[in-house]
Amino acid sequence: MLRSIKPKNARAKRALDARLPKEVEDPRTAVFVRGTHTGQVLNDVMRDLMALKRPHVISFSKKNDIHPFDAASTSTASLEFWANKNDASMFVIGQTTKKRPNGLTFVRMFDNRVLDMLEVGVESFVSMADIKTAKSTPGHKPLMHFASDLFDTHPRFAQLKSMLIALFNGEVIESICLAGLEYVISSTSAPTPPASSPLAQKSRASSSPPMGPSLDMRLRRHTPPDPELLKLAMKTPKLKKADIEKGLGKKRKNIETDEMGDLRGPDSRRQAGLGQAADAQDEGAQGRGWCSRRAGGAGGWGEPDEPSQKKRRRQST
Amino acid sequence: MDVSGIIASNAAKYQAITVEKETPLEVDAGLLLVTDLNSIDEESYSANLEDHLQALARDGVQSLITSLFALPTQRSEDGPLAQLPVPTTALPRSKPLPKPKPPTKWEKFAAAKGIQHKKRDKREWDEERQEWVNRWGRDGKNKQVEEQWITEVPANADILLRHSDVDFDPRKVARDERKARVAKNEKQRLANAARAQGPREARKQEIDQTLATTRISTASMGKFDKKLEGEKKARGVKRKFEPTERPLEDEKNASLALISRMDSDAKKTRREPPTEENVLNVRKAVRFASKGRGGVALGRSAAGARGGRGGRGRGKR
Repeated sequence: MLRSIKPKNARAKRALDARLPKEVEDPRTAVFVRGTHTGQVLNDVMRDLMALKRPHVISFSKKNDIHPFDAASTSTASLEFWANKNDASMFVIGQTTKKRPNGLTFVRMFDNRVLDMLEVGVESFVSMADIKTAKSTPGHKPLMHFASDLFDTHPRFAQLKSMLIALFNGEVIESICLAGLEYVISSTSAPTPPASSPLAQKSRASSSPPMGPSLDMRLRRHTPPDPELLKLAMKTPKLKKADIEKGLGKKRKNIETDEMGDLRGPDSRRQAGLGQAADAQDEGAQGRGWCSRRAGGAGGWGEPDEPSQKKRRRQST
Repeated sequence: MDVSGIIASNAAKYQAITVEKETPLEVDAGLLLVTDLNSIDEESYSANLEDHLQALARDGVQSLITSLFALPTQRSEDGPLAQLPVPTTALPRSKPLPKPKPPTKWEKFAAAKGIQHKKRDKREWDEERQEWVNRWGRDGKNKQVEEQWITEVPANADILLRHSDVDFDPRKVARDERKARVAKNEKQRLANAARAQGPREARKQEIDQTLATTRISTASMGKFDKKLEGEKKARGVKRKFEPTERPLEDEKNASLALISRMDSDAKKTRREPPTEENVLNVRKAVRFASKGRGGVALGRSAAGARGGRGGRGRGKR
């Protein structure tokens, strides 16, 4: 256990305050840990995953004697210590043994305690460097794509999905720059029935040319979350009154967005018989009893309908 | 002119933007996430894996991009910002929800009285200098009097000084007033912190203080006392040996200081016995009668109760 620190200056206090629990959380910081032995494959896998996760990543480049699934070891205590020390809430541990070659363990933390763990074996791997295409900008948010019914029905696939979302895309954001959407993390499963050999095929496709890395993974050991801890972790903040009025938390009635990205809904002023006043205020709004509000410059930004939008890629200039 | 050929050839270049599948794709725009819950087609999987994955990813991303571009947007320097909805996929948090801060004494009072909180700017407009200045801190407005080069001395300056032999220093008076305000604020802050801790913690601290006092109350400063197991050594305790012969003036001063301390209200070493004509402690009586809510609340409840009873009486008649 770390000693509780009392900040001695304003900078230290700000740093400590940044670690306090927040209502809307920051992205999870992931620590990439090397086990007692990691082969070349795992080193490359972890390097590529770190490249995608940057800047919210911490690399433990030295070997660590850590066996998270071994209850007799002190690994859980180590993980909790590291989580506390680095303010990290996710771990990716690489460890290769004769029995379980190229094992990658995802560990998710809650309140500096281990929530759940999932181990996958990397069966084949193509690194980013092997695919000679342009790469995404570090720090840009990926799109996530999961394709298989198993991600809904099979509890461990569901856990893998939740884990991957938490690793790459877990934080809640209010808005996103549409021009900054650059790459996709796509995960699919093999068609084989899960009872025999569950094989999660995870591949990354940025645009028409895949950017890599691409991994074939097999599910191995796992630890389900402790129900008590999970219940605490799934608590959601109470919505503020202003947010509810804005329409969050429940369905907004009679409001829709048209293809230009404008909000359209009934105009209360017209309904109240104040039609002239409303018209004077927003000239150009077409239709009776409906008000169109321009939300932003969506019009000047190309055709959203074109399929090539998906293949947008920032050119390096 | 027949353009149908051109349209057809143009359409053939692009794939459809609407994705039709057996199970419709689940899009969670808040997390930039799309889930394709159709089972994997074994035939296309085994025929050409790379093409199969690309096709799956293309379909998923297309539907996600379509829904993202349909979101309301906001103008920004870097292009349109899509306003994302609240995510529907529940993910465990990495830290527990922040605990609400216990209200201060003022906040409780303001809530009871319905006083709205007004946020005060850190900066204040200075009419003379025609610029914004800090309310406090570096070059703060609260230090204006003590820092200006000339200050008016009030006519009753000698009375203010209570016939002391030093000259009236308006800077010192202003500074003392400011320091007193700071000290009062600090005292209130500490009291709020103690109240927030709860009565149990306050009692603990009190016991610790009493213990520390008793431990140094023997002639040998507790040097020969029995120690409990795990008892910590009191720090900063030193026996100060007074000289055996002291000047009479010193002794007199020490005694006078002690007496004045007992008299002063600040330390409350000894309480005034209640005087004869004031047998009833009014404050205590009000507190008892109003069950600790104060005289105003007592008056209000008394008035309310009378009105209510009268009303009911009329109704029955």
